[in-house]
Amino acid sequence: MASEVIPAGEVLIDGPTTPIEFTFKGRRFRIHAVLSRWCESGGWWNRVSDGKYRPDDQARALWRVEAAPIGALTTFQLERDEATGQWIVTTI
Amino acid sequence: MSFIHLRTTSAYSFKYGTTQPCDLVERAAEFEMPALALTDRDSFAGTIRFAKSCLEMGIAPIIGINLQIDLINSESVGIKSDRKNFPRITILAGSDGGYRHLMHLYRGITFASGDRIPVLTMDVLERFAQHSSQLYLLHGPESPVSEAIALHRSDLALEIFNKTRPFFADHAIECVSHLVGGNGPRSTAHAARSLVFAREHDIPAVITNAVRMRDRIDGPVADILDCARQLVPLDRRHLERRNGEAFLKDSNEMHRLAAEIAQAAGEGSPRLLLKTTREWAERSLLSPQRDIGLGDVHLPEADVVGAANAADMRRLLRERSEAGLHWRYTDSNRIRIARARLDDELATVATLGFESYFLTVADITDMARDKGIRVAARGSGAGSLICHLLGISGVDPIEHGLLMERFCSPLRRALPDIDIDVESARRLEIYDAVFARYGSPSFKSPNAISRCATVSMVEKYRARHAIRDAGAALGLPAVEIDLLAKSMPHIRAANIEAALASLPELKSLNTSAPLMAMTIAMAQRLDGLPRHLAMHPCAIALSDATLLDRAPLQINAGGYPMLEFDKDDVEDIGLLKLDVLGVRMQSAIAHAVEEIRRTADPDFDIDTVPLDDPATYKLIQSTQTLGLFQIESPGQRELIGKLQPRTFNDLVIDISLFRPGPVKSDMIRPFLNARGGFTEPQLIHPTLAPILAETEGVVVFHEQVIAIISVMTGISLAAADEKRRALGSKEGQQEVCDWFFPAATMRGYKLSTITTIWEVLRAFASFGFCKAHAAAFALPTYQSAWLKTHYPAAFISGVLTHDPGMYPKRLMIDEARQIGVPLAPLDINASLPDYRVEGTGDTPAIRIALSAVSGASAHEIESITAGQPYIDLADFYRRSGAAAPTIETLILTGAFDSVHRDQSINHRDLLLHLADLQKTSAPALSGAQMSLGLAPPLLQPSGLPAMSSAEKMSNELSRLGMDLSEHILSPYAEFLNAIGATRSCDLLKARSNSTVLVAGVKVALQSPPVRSGKRVLFLSLDDGYGCSDATFFPDVLEARTGEYAQTLYATSLFLVRGATRRTGERGISLRATGVWDLRSAYQEWNLKKGSVAI
Repeated sequence: MASEVIPAGEVLIDGPTTPIEFTFKGRRFRIHAVLSRWCESGGWWNRVSDGKYRPDDQARALWRVEAAPIGALTTFQLERDEATGQWIVTTI
Repeated sequence: MSFIHLRTTSAYSFKYGTTQPCDLVERAAEFEMPALALTDRDSFAGTIRFAKSCLEMGIAPIIGINLQIDLINSESVGIKSDRKNFPRITILAGSDGGYRHLMHLYRGITFASGDRIPVLTMDVLERFAQHSSQLYLLHGPESPVSEAIALHRSDLALEIFNKTRPFFADHAIECVSHLVGGNGPRSTAHAARSLVFAREHDIPAVITNAVRMRDRIDGPVADILDCARQLVPLDRRHLERRNGEAFLKDSNEMHRLAAEIAQAAGEGSPRLLLKTTREWAERSLLSPQRDIGLGDVHLPEADVVGAANAADMRRLLRERSEAGLHWRYTDSNRIRIARARLDDELATVATLGFESYFLTVADITDMARDKGIRVAARGSGAGSLICHLLGISGVDPIEHGLLMERFCSPLRRALPDIDIDVESARRLEIYDAVFARYGSPSFKSPNAISRCATVSMVEKYRARHAIRDAGAALGLPAVEIDLLAKSMPHIRAANIEAALASLPELKSLNTSAPLMAMTIAMAQRLDGLPRHLAMHPCAIALSDATLLDRAPLQINAGGYPMLEFDKDDVEDIGLLKLDVLGVRMQSAIAHAVEEIRRTADPDFDIDTVPLDDPATYKLIQSTQTLGLFQIESPGQRELIGKLQPRTFNDLVIDISLFRPGPVKSDMIRPFLNARGGFTEPQLIHPTLAPILAETEGVVVFHEQVIAIISVMTGISLAAADEKRRALGSKEGQQEVCDWFFPAATMRGYKLSTITTIWEVLRAFASFGFCKAHAAAFALPTYQSAWLKTHYPAAFISGVLTHDPGMYPKRLMIDEARQIGVPLAPLDINASLPDYRVEGTGDTPAIRIALSAVSGASAHEIESITAGQPYIDLADFYRRSGAAAPTIETLILTGAFDSVHRDQSINHRDLLLHLADLQKTSAPALSGAQMSLGLAPPLLQPSGLPAMSSAEKMSNELSRLGMDLSEHILSPYAEFLNAIGATRSCDLLKARSNSTVLVAGVKVALQSPPVRSGKRVLFLSLDDGYGCSDATFFPDVLEARTGEYAQTLYATSLFLVRGATRRTGERGISLRATGVWDLRSAYQEWNLKKGSVAI
């Protein structure tokens, strides 16, 4: 599994947040199918000691998608940090 | 098409839901949803608030409940049942009468569950099948069906589904995706699998969001509540939530979810899922009025109150009221006036259709009286002549100028509010009588009918609980939680931060430390969330036979059926709400009356004594008011001293003036000045003179405001009362203002007059007091004063037995001593459980009660009384059943002195004898031991010295809490004489502004709010000659680096130096300049004999 962090602008989205296209290892991928999507958050109480009161931080939306660059079809996981809008793309 | 949420939990899912019902409704309305369901967990307490919001916002309510279900042999079908919580299902009420069936089924469940969390069992389902068959069942993600689906056991899921199938009108599988990862309940995969299961077995499927929050950001609040509910610290495994998705999503988001679930289930389109959801919602829409009953009025039916029909009730009420005319009045002129007023009042009642209201309340007060329980109405009800004539209220409204309109008016459809005061010791007897008459013999039956139930009270998160629960969840150290919580005044949780800023004692606490800061932030988020449903301490709701159709019932810890609706809810659905308040003074009066009948006058009736007895007013004017109802506090004694009440009406005024409002707004001074003849009463306009004469031109009563408005504008009293009510709010004030000026100008009043009056009305609207309420209170005040004047021994016996007042018992003992009532000591043969009057001559004594013995149980006291009389200590030891510490106390307080008269035997000898008795005999019955040849030990003088009087008094204080044989200050008499201390009874003789020394034992130390906002302490002392009051101002409290302030809190025996200040004819108080601990001052004096510098 390889991961790469991509800035918000590099991922083309549909509607508010649904990803369509993204860049991974310098190549542009198009999403052909969303296999599943889910959301995670919580554990806010473990980050109390940093002194910042952010009760619902680390809310994350996740997609498991089938995407392909030219020709090849690969499974990736895309993760978007809801606070920063940053994306993490992981090959599965 | 907009989506309708079928599953929403509000904050009335106690310690689970995060959002007030109104906020959910408001959000649904923003989303333009036509309806919203409320399906709280284990509670209907939010129903009425929810329905009201729905009505306001114009959306239709759907009502259901989420409950635990126990399928009994769930183990046999493969689901483990060794858990604390059962799985949950949701039941919805259908539009055609389902609400009624839901209420009945719920009652069946709660009564079968007792005080545990309700659980739906197969047994209840079978017994209440007639009701459940009208309801709809949802199998959601917490249901046993869903659990089986998660286990990939479709067969099992069907088996479980079929168990409840015969009992409900319809069933649906509820597909919920909170977009949780994996494929367990609340994931899209699980929702899809549930949908497939439904399709395979031809079961309807709906989509909901199992809403728990209004917004994503409410997540942490839900986490804290999960912890508070389970009493666990924050940890993923204790929390239900995996993300922030369980919130009230808009239609688009719900449609998108439906599409995802349908797609994952292999359905091309979500159309069917959404269509079924819509259908299920549409057949469950309720009308807030028709189904839930907002705005209805339901009073006991004609036949219940003894009439044939509605018209006959009218006749009955008139008949009973007219009978009352001749009971209450003898003078024919009075009867004529009263009859005219009665006709008016009856007409109003007939317009409103409230006959049953009056007849029912009268029925209950009659029941109380039949049982010999003292009962008196309080509040605005005393303004109604009907109430007076039916015996509900003891005060004559005509005599005292009280208005029916303040209580009940044709312009207000709302049911009037009656509170009745009863003897505190017998309050529950009235509950029992009401339930016997209006309740159901079998609340557990599916067909039960009841017309009454107790009312609940919602306890909400305020600062202290919020800090405790948030702190415990976050793992803040217990010491810090305690410190923070205890330092909080009783304020809203939302104001914690503001309070912290103003609390100097918390300066040492580092409230910006991360964990502390988070605790405070989370605690503030809990503000106002309901945390517990408790039984209202005094309210009963009465209704017609449909009560159980319209209100959810549970059985509370006290064993009384309780509505899950609170006082406001009950009012909203038009039930008769009766507050039955236990008043200790009524018990004390009842005790006194009983003693008077027993020892002096068998026919005595306190309710017929004249209200103009000069001796009684003389006692009140003397400010010797200790033990009296309402007027015994230091502040009231000061006011009484200035006001010098001469009539019953003066007492009414006194009670109305002694409240924070009038004190703060300085209403009292102009009144007292005019009263004392120092200034002329202000007369704004001659037409108002008759209204304001009784209060020297000052507006004190609501009734006066009503009359002024009516006189100046020509509107009826009822309409004027509406205007008075409007004055309570800012907008209302403006409206009344805009109307008042032209209306009064039309009647010929000058603008300057109107302006003056308007200012008065505006200023006093918030402070005015309902005169009827004050008059109802003044009656027991007067009665207690009358009893203290004429039968002091009986009265003080009552006060000592029922302890109604603010002062410790020792002060009442001292009061008895001062007014010359002899005290008969504790005596094993003469003392009874209660304080009794002994001797019938001119000076009957008070016999100290066995209940005075601290630590003696009710059972011990009963057993001692049952064994009376006793021959001696040995006999008492064998037969009384009293424990050794109790016997010791009895010895040391002289309770055996009457059986051991021999001078050579003293208390120490008796104690030794008790020890011998304990050694020789195993606790057993006497006769058996004798025959075994065990001789009882002999009682012999040991030669030890007898106890001194000071020792005896100190024993009394520590073991009975009161100094019986002499006053606590007696040992200091020589010292106090030597330093020239003034006795409290001689203070009035002191010149004004002279410096005096007073000594005494602390009676009260209060720090009341005063106009300036500065901290002032009021110290009341008792020195055996009466009470003295000293005021400590900040300059004195802060002098000598707070030494005086510390002394005030450190001891209870004081020596105070201060300057006298006359406050009225009989009023005097001290402006303190110093305070010392009497004991240390005495010791110092003893050492130096007379040369203490003070």
